[in-house]
Amino acid sequence: MGSFGRFLLKRSLQGVVVILGVISVLFVLRYVTPGSPVDFIAPLDASDATRRRIAESLGLNQPLYVQYGDYIVSLLQGEMGYSYRSRTAVAPRVFAKLPATLELAVAATVVAVILSIPLGVISATRRHTGPDYAATVFSFLGISTPNFWLGVMLVILFAVQFGAFPTSGRPVGLLDALGHLVVIAGPERGWALPLNVGSFVAAMQNWLLHVTLPAITLGTYFTALITRLTRSGMLDELGRGYVQAARAKGLPTTLVRYRHALRNTLIPVITVVGLQLGTLIGGAVITEAVFDWPGLGSLIIDAINNRDWPLIQGSLVVIGAGFVVVNVVVDALYVRLNPRVLE
Amino acid sequence: MSRDVDRREFLTLAGTAAGAATLAGCSGGNETATETSGGSTPMDTGTPEEELPEPETREEHLQRTNRLVHDDAPWIFLNRQYSVYGKSADVEWEARRDERIDGYAIEPTGSKSSVMITQSKMDTGLDPHDHRETTTDNIVTQAYEGLLERDREGKVVNQLATGYERLEAGQVQFELRSGVSFHSGDSLTKEDVAFSINRIVDPEAGDLESSQSDQLAGVTGAEPADGDSAVIVNSDGINPVVFALFATYCDIVNKSWIESNDAAYINSNMEGTGPFMLDTYEQDVRVVFESYDDYYMDAAPADQLTIQSAGEPSTRVNQLLNDETDIIVNVPPQNISQIQSADNASISAVPSTRIIYNAMIYNREPFDSVEFRQAMNYAIDLESMVSNVLGSFGDQTGQPTLEGFTGYNPDLDPYPYDPDEAERLVEASGYAGAEIELHTPSGRYLKDLEISQAVVSYLDELENVSASVKQRDFGKLVDELLDGELETSPAFYLIGWGNAAFDASQTIIPLLTSDGALTSYRNDRVDELMDQAQSMGGES
Amino acid sequence: MIRRLLDAVTGRLSPRTVQNLRSEFDTSPLTKVGVGILVVVLVTAVFAPLLAPWNPEAQNLDRSQQPPLGFTRAENQTTQETVDGEVQLIQETVQVNATVAHPLGTDGLGRDMLSRVVYGARTSLVVGVLGTLLAMLVGVPVGLVAGYYKGRVDDALMRVADVSLAFPSLVLAIALVGLFGQAAVEVPDPLVTTGLAAAIRGVTSLPGGLAYPTGMPATFTLPGTVILVVGIVNWVWFARVARGEALGVRDEEYVKAARSLGGPDRFIIRRHVFPNSITPVLVLATIQIAAIVLLESALSFLGFSGTTLSWGFDIAQGRQYQTTSWWIAAMPGLAIVLTVIGINLVGDWLRDALDPGIEGEGGGV
Repeated sequence: MGSFGRFLLKRSLQGVVVILGVISVLFVLRYVTPGSPVDFIAPLDASDATRRRIAESLGLNQPLYVQYGDYIVSLLQGEMGYSYRSRTAVAPRVFAKLPATLELAVAATVVAVILSIPLGVISATRRHTGPDYAATVFSFLGISTPNFWLGVMLVILFAVQFGAFPTSGRPVGLLDALGHLVVIAGPERGWALPLNVGSFVAAMQNWLLHVTLPAITLGTYFTALITRLTRSGMLDELGRGYVQAARAKGLPTTLVRYRHALRNTLIPVITVVGLQLGTLIGGAVITEAVFDWPGLGSLIIDAINNRDWPLIQGSLVVIGAGFVVVNVVVDALYVRLNPRVLE
Repeated sequence: MSRDVDRREFLTLAGTAAGAATLAGCSGGNETATETSGGSTPMDTGTPEEELPEPETREEHLQRTNRLVHDDAPWIFLNRQYSVYGKSADVEWEARRDERIDGYAIEPTGSKSSVMITQSKMDTGLDPHDHRETTTDNIVTQAYEGLLERDREGKVVNQLATGYERLEAGQVQFELRSGVSFHSGDSLTKEDVAFSINRIVDPEAGDLESSQSDQLAGVTGAEPADGDSAVIVNSDGINPVVFALFATYCDIVNKSWIESNDAAYINSNMEGTGPFMLDTYEQDVRVVFESYDDYYMDAAPADQLTIQSAGEPSTRVNQLLNDETDIIVNVPPQNISQIQSADNASISAVPSTRIIYNAMIYNREPFDSVEFRQAMNYAIDLESMVSNVLGSFGDQTGQPTLEGFTGYNPDLDPYPYDPDEAERLVEASGYAGAEIELHTPSGRYLKDLEISQAVVSYLDELENVSASVKQRDFGKLVDELLDGELETSPAFYLIGWGNAAFDASQTIIPLLTSDGALTSYRNDRVDELMDQAQSMGGES
Repeated sequence: MIRRLLDAVTGRLSPRTVQNLRSEFDTSPLTKVGVGILVVVLVTAVFAPLLAPWNPEAQNLDRSQQPPLGFTRAENQTTQETVDGEVQLIQETVQVNATVAHPLGTDGLGRDMLSRVVYGARTSLVVGVLGTLLAMLVGVPVGLVAGYYKGRVDDALMRVADVSLAFPSLVLAIALVGLFGQAAVEVPDPLVTTGLAAAIRGVTSLPGGLAYPTGMPATFTLPGTVILVVGIVNWVWFARVARGEALGVRDEEYVKAARSLGGPDRFIIRRHVFPNSITPVLVLATIQIAAIVLLESALSFLGFSGTTLSWGFDIAQGRQYQTTSWWIAAMPGLAIVLTVIGINLVGDWLRDALDPGIEGEGGGV
């Protein structure tokens, strides 16, 4: 096994330990937090007997370690138990919410990357010019603006005043919209695209209209952050010996800039963005609240407000595990791009 | 078993039946006192109540209780909450008093045939017997129906039953409508009906711990009658409100469908007899219904009905104004005029059955002084509060019973705004300089936090009282109120109480009698009056 | 004046550091702006009872939703009347004008937005500073110990850190505040309880001939749970930085020497390892204050807070009025942006001057 393989294995094992830690911490939390889920299910004036019966039917009368053991076993089988409140299975419910959150996060990242890297490069290569100042001011505002406030302002301006965008909601998911394409051109109808792609276009348009404001809301901080990082990284690289040398050798400036300097700049950018993924998911939670975007965020807030522990655990385990996996991938990517760190 | 025991049991049951509907139970006026209690101890020397003649009818008992409570002021009497909806110009529909939205009554106009409703929350699962909130009710009752129903004004009408009668004291019978089928095509049978009732009241019968067992208070079980299509319902004692209960609660399910599916399936699918059948269920996001073609009456005017949610009121308003939805619930006061003046939308409002009040626990300082409690009522400019905080979509109250309910006392006016009198009373109470803290939920009732903030600011304006607001998590606040000990409750809190029974008893017993589940007050004379009133209950 | 203040603060740092700080401060106009903003916000927060024109909680229902200076609001008023049990609606149009008494307008209950923004600065800064201190107190020792001992101790502590990092800070904070409740402590406000505020306010008067109201809130609500939670949520960043510094010096000759001389570990960590980490921790702390200010506002916005005097809370309230009165949500948001810009500019200054080699730690909202 190569050193990279060993690194990956070690890192993955650590990840598993962390995920187990996440689950355990959630169980401890459940034990130490005040308030019983029964209070949130039983009617205001329910009798003690009713409350006791509800507790029993939820399995809350079992000792905690039994509940913990049961939970681990069911997780290994891909199950997360049943919601206290609605009695429906938690796992499908959490995974049904995942696409909404992911597409919001992806849309925001796309917005951020498309805007920020050119902005950062322009800013660095035209230092102390109008565009540089504009980009600097923008990135400063971007990292200092709370995204939920930005969202509220965008709604007031573009949805309420101008009516250019819908105010909230996600009537169509991205996968559903793309699904139209698959139905139009599927194995049964032949793979050639027929001319009538109207339903796909309409669904896509609907999705885009609804995702625009949330994506800007969530993406602004990252656009600003990456612009800043790209700018400072580029400035560092452009000042280095090899760039000067390459220039002296007569290599075209653009080639030097984009082939070498930008590539080296992007390595720390990737790491920082990886580190900030938590902020992205956290930001998604609050963006969802602003736009009634039906993702994991609203699910978690609801579950917490109702002490619906299976749902709290399920959604937090998914977020935690997803985050750990992404971190392992980012680390691996970093090591791949930068093999020196292993030595 | 003596009659007395029966009555006491009824009292306990009635006390625990949240908003148990007793619309018809107490028409008032025609009842006479069948029995007056002997050996009652006179209470509250010094109140003018002593000088009044003993009440005779049930209505008079209730009115007298309201007077006592008004004078003794265990609450700051605030407002009756309104249900305010926004509706688009694309539909014809009027609001109901009981906070439900009946999809069958919504008529799309023009070329549209689908209708969209945005409420504040989605369901907590689709099992019609396993929830208690209006938001879930609004979803499941599109597909499920009960034996009886209420019309828009609250009157009891037939639904799956075509007739009902009392057979004997604890036994009533419902005649079932014929030709009714579930959405799967199965015919409705008397076994289904009996099973549905038993599933709620008996944990063994349907393998379900139904949170609705209190809603059918007094009902012990049901069985199919010997005839073709009738069901007999048994109650513990006389249960005078039984028909009223069935007009509000107990959705009828398909026995074989329930028995052959697990809880997770029942909570994400529907098998009812109603005008709409489930098309798609996206939990927490939306529920889409389509019109049920084989409905036993005319098919619903709307071909498709979608219910979605938006927790933030302004989001719902935006959706309505942007033509993204047809009906929205709980329009906040500041948006009413905006909707009313829009071309594509209008307001539909009705007084609800909910009263908003501040409880002041009677044995906690400084609220153990009647003068102090009265002072709190004089200190509030209720009129200004209703018109400014609630945009005048609310009524002032001066007694626990709402206007139009049985037992409402028309002679009682809300406390006038008189800060000087308030300061004088505070002085007289000996609690000048008191510091009080109002515990309030936020977002649970219409403008609850704003109401609390307004109350506190009025109280704080008194020279000799300082007041502040404490925002509370609703669950934990209720937890403290319900633990059966007044000592652990906050001494001063805001809460709202819905009473779909239109009867004073269903507010006073749980909130103001010594044994009430949510009581903050103890007055033996009130207990005695209510005891007597409940022993005079007429047949519903 | 600011220069002199800075000199006093920086007196305890090494001459070279001070030199760097000074030259950065002198050459960068942005730094001056940042320090200026921060001083304004700090003064506002501390002297809120003197500066706020009105009591931030005092409502005047007849003056609700007044626009800020320079704006007007046309309002179609709808009132209801019950005729025969049916609700009838009556419409009329009213023009609402701005007044000098409320330069930033009023909220839905007629409370002065300017005063609420002024008092909101207190909540934000108190939570930001106390939360950061708590995070530092927990994180720095853990990080130093982990880095100094390396091996098992380090592994164990870092896995704990990883578990903590597995949740986005906002999600973790929501969960903790939501589950543990929103406890708050009422702290007496010395400026008010000593009568100072009333005395000073008594001699001044508002423009427009209005009397300057003297009754200000006697207590300040300290959102205890929120402070604990933001501290707990953010300790990891400090642990990471401190650990890195400790790892860097543990094999240095002078540390090795101290160890061979038999110095106790506690002493070595405190004496030799900790001083090294001061600079990066200081820079991180600045960034963290900004992050925590944003986190607090997000929590308040979502209703997970212990106080009703907070910028985030006001934005949430303003959202309810977004179709009629934009300023209720806009003003507190602008205050947040300004404050965070100030802190970030100061953070950049420290980072540029001290070059602690950290980047992208913490996070925004």
